[in-house]
Amino acid sequence: MRALALTLALTAAPVAASELSSSITDKLILPAFEELAADSRTLARAAQADCDPQSGALRAAYGEAFDAWIAASHYRFGPTETDSRAFALAFWPDSRSKTPKALAGLIRSEDAGIKDPAKFASYSIASRGFYALEFLLYDPQLSTAGTPEYRCALTRAVSTDIAATSKAISADWQQSYAAELRAPGSRYQTEDEITQELFKTLTTGLQVLDGMRLGRPLGTYQKPRPNRAEARRSGRSLRHVLVSLNALEPLAVALAEGHADLQEKITAGFAKARTKAEALDDPVFAGVSDPAGRFRIESLQQEIKDLHTLMREDLGPALGVAAGFNALDGD
Amino acid sequence: MTTRRGFLAGLMASTLTSQASWASAGSPAFLSAGKDASGAFLLAGLSDTGGILFRHPLPGRGHAAAAHPVRPEAVAFARRPDRFADVIDCRSGAATARLEPPAGHHFYGHGTFSPDGSRLFTTENDYENARGVIGVWDATGGYRRITAFSSGGIGPHDMALRRDAPGLVVANGGIETHPDSGRAKLNLPDMRPNLSYLSLEGELQAQMELAQELRLNSIRHLAVRADGTVGFAMQWQGDPGEQLPAAGLHRPGTAPRLMAEDDARVLNLKGYGGSVAFSADGSRIGVTSPRGGVLQVMDTVSGALLREFRMHDVCGLAASAGGFTASTGNGQFFAVSDAGQHPLHRADLAWDNHLIPLI
Repeated sequence: MRALALTLALTAAPVAASELSSSITDKLILPAFEELAADSRTLARAAQADCDPQSGALRAAYGEAFDAWIAASHYRFGPTETDSRAFALAFWPDSRSKTPKALAGLIRSEDAGIKDPAKFASYSIASRGFYALEFLLYDPQLSTAGTPEYRCALTRAVSTDIAATSKAISADWQQSYAAELRAPGSRYQTEDEITQELFKTLTTGLQVLDGMRLGRPLGTYQKPRPNRAEARRSGRSLRHVLVSLNALEPLAVALAEGHADLQEKITAGFAKARTKAEALDDPVFAGVSDPAGRFRIESLQQEIKDLHTLMREDLGPALGVAAGFNALDGD
Repeated sequence: MTTRRGFLAGLMASTLTSQASWASAGSPAFLSAGKDASGAFLLAGLSDTGGILFRHPLPGRGHAAAAHPVRPEAVAFARRPDRFADVIDCRSGAATARLEPPAGHHFYGHGTFSPDGSRLFTTENDYENARGVIGVWDATGGYRRITAFSSGGIGPHDMALRRDAPGLVVANGGIETHPDSGRAKLNLPDMRPNLSYLSLEGELQAQMELAQELRLNSIRHLAVRADGTVGFAMQWQGDPGEQLPAAGLHRPGTAPRLMAEDDARVLNLKGYGGSVAFSADGSRIGVTSPRGGVLQVMDTVSGALLREFRMHDVCGLAASAGGFTASTGNGQFFAVSDAGQHPLHRADLAWDNHLIPLI
């Protein structure tokens, strides 16, 4: 009863922006990047222990670390943008197939630079990160190209690099950026700007789900593009949608703190999207090419569009932030 | 040529000294359209640090503006598909004329004066004929419509004076629209944007089209460097997530040069170049993306992306002494240089797409 009274008291007035951003920083953002750093460290160790692409332990560690990135990847500001770290971890969509080309080039030339982590960190982002590692572990051609020794060294180099990049992001968050986001200062001048950043993070995350993770493989009815499904070689396309929904929901709920009705709507909206995703039984969206399968993927996409509309029309005004005057203009 | 232009401008200035100059309007550094806290639209004259020197209410949302080369007079253009352009006396903020395009036309939101200030050119949609048009107005008195000529393509948007030869350069975005269907894009299957170089009388002198695989990259915005090099910014109409350039350089008779083509960070622009400007020394070109909340600065020699600056809803961009000045939909004004971004001013209104420099 006392807990209920407290909840009611809290919902009575919108939460101060600095409280909101402090809570989101501490409860969502810092743990997400800590998890990514820890899982990436485990991945690098797994690759050292066994670099065979068929290794169950390596593949499991890869899956854990990739999940952790997807769950953190919507926080695309500050530490992820330094030195293009987000792209170095995750260069996707790769509309020009640069990743397989870059990896094939390294394997063909047996470029020895990959053995020096500092040097490898300066290589094209196309040859680094989770999508590059997916090719090395799961692509029939690249996972068997060249010599086993070189592929092994490359698998270790990419894994070590992922761990170093993830560690750097997490360290920056803890050492400096968390403070920037908790209260206005040099980076954000007002609390509104901080709220705006967090709100944009949420809406951009939903846009990536809608336009990229689902929209790219859907293509058009006349021209579906199943080969554009994200991480299809490792069978993770649908999984990424679920991981992302599960990561965006607590952010949306936290931003709606103090607005109990809206929180309920948000929870219901995410539940609908999740139910549709879980019922799909189509891990790489192969169904985009047949009418029945396509209908179900489009129906999931619609749930995500509805969530985006809810954020724009209800959450944005509740927070006193609007989607951009110019961003929406289209001129 | 420059001599002639300088002579004419000087002549205009001397005949008008008894009247008015930009100094009498407080020498604004920029013009920008905006929306105030009550939701009303306006055109403002701004100091180089973003202070508002004058404001004029507009009947609808504005877009860009043009400044008369001599008189303290600005023209605020309606955002497409609206049909007004207000001529404003910048000393008082009062309108002295309201232009309306002929029936069947609407403005696209950009325009420019002839070098001598005698004519105003406006980009227009002749929508019943799906034809891009440049409207010509008599700016010597009363703003009578003189004539119109083809823009060289569909969907002319930004337009600027050439600086290597007399004439205009027009960004024909390639997208057909009709007011009956709002802002819907009617011709994506066969759109083909171009840059058209026209004489001031409307003869097509040169034209640049991008490679076929970039035909969905709508060329929208322009900046012209002192040596005549044209910088252009594009907006992608194809699938999201394609790694494509958003800015390029062009000189008539040569192939276009695309900026930062192989840099993944172009994805941060979300396929949407909002404004483009050269730095004051011409060594850099900047492109803003309000959708990405980012300004990217490229080296005009190497084409490399040098640096990104994050600013929420940034769009307006112009050269300034140390590099660039940028404006945002949050009413912010930033100085951007190699040293970083520095907030200069915040107004309680939203700055619209473009920051028009007064030179």
